[in-house]
Amino acid sequence: MNQPNEDMKRIDELMKTALRREEVPSGFAERVLARAEQRPAVTLEPERIPWFHFFSRPLVRWAAFTAVTASLIAGSLHYRNVRREQAKGEAAKQQLMLALHIAGSKLQLARSKVNGIQTSQPRRERETNRSRSKS
Amino acid sequence: MRSINQKSLLSVFLLLASPFLRAQEIKLPPDVEKLSSTAKETVEVKMDGPMLRWASKFLSAEDPDEQKAAKLVQSLKSIYVRNFEFDKEGAYSSAEVQTLRSQFSPPEWSRVVGVRSERDGENVDVYFRLENEKMAGIVIISAEPKELTFVNIVGPIEVDQLADLGGEFGIPRLKTKPSSNRVAKVEKGDHK
Repeated sequence: MNQPNEDMKRIDELMKTALRREEVPSGFAERVLARAEQRPAVTLEPERIPWFHFFSRPLVRWAAFTAVTASLIAGSLHYRNVRREQAKGEAAKQQLMLALHIAGSKLQLARSKVNGIQTSQPRRERETNRSRSKS
Repeated sequence: MRSINQKSLLSVFLLLASPFLRAQEIKLPPDVEKLSSTAKETVEVKMDGPMLRWASKFLSAEDPDEQKAAKLVQSLKSIYVRNFEFDKEGAYSSAEVQTLRSQFSPPEWSRVVGVRSERDGENVDVYFRLENEKMAGIVIISAEPKELTFVNIVGPIEVDQLADLGGEFGIPRLKTKPSSNRVAKVEKGDHK
């Protein structure tokens, strides 16, 4: 039964010794103040906001999404139109070349016929002259 | 005020002159038009001035033939080519061709070549239209046993350059050939 009482007494003593009043050493306050003056003053920097924080607003986010989608659609439409125009142009070029080829080949045909007549005529004349001289 | 009067006078003149300008148009006889239904292969190319200019933008500067073509078409007003190819001979009559030929008479047109070949049945007519002693148009009508071709080119044209584009010794240099039974219509112009 005595054991708990003794323990309580010991704790009391320990508390008394730990919380006993002690005199401040001489020059303590001056030393603390001197050290505080030596330390550089802490300046508070303004908080940095990341660039994408701008898009955290829902309205801005939606506006950006709409703008990107619209530009993608416009770009793809423009690209498709350019491709279509190019395909039409290529087809027109082929038609033009075909037309010029047909026209050119028929002109050549006419030319070859005329040349054929021109070459066959002197031959015929020569043959008739030869037969006349023989007779 | 004066410029407005000049403009109005010009527009009135154009309005009055339009029937005469249209008179230069060449019409294929209806019988010839009908030939496309019996032909094995039909080619029709109609291109007016702006269309020619636009098409020539796509011509390659590296290809010598396309280079020649670009030079040739830069001052042309229109090109009209109609070509029929048949399986058998006698698909068209000489009267039909004669109706076509009759549209090209002096003084507007002068026939520079007229070939009639009884041996192989190849008949070719070439007509020139001159304006102020300068070439203003060419018409070629080629009637072969299995083929009928009509070409009308309006504008100043170099005939030698055009003949060069026809290939060499009858061998075409063209890379593409029209597919069977295809009607190649590029643009609907005023020609009929």
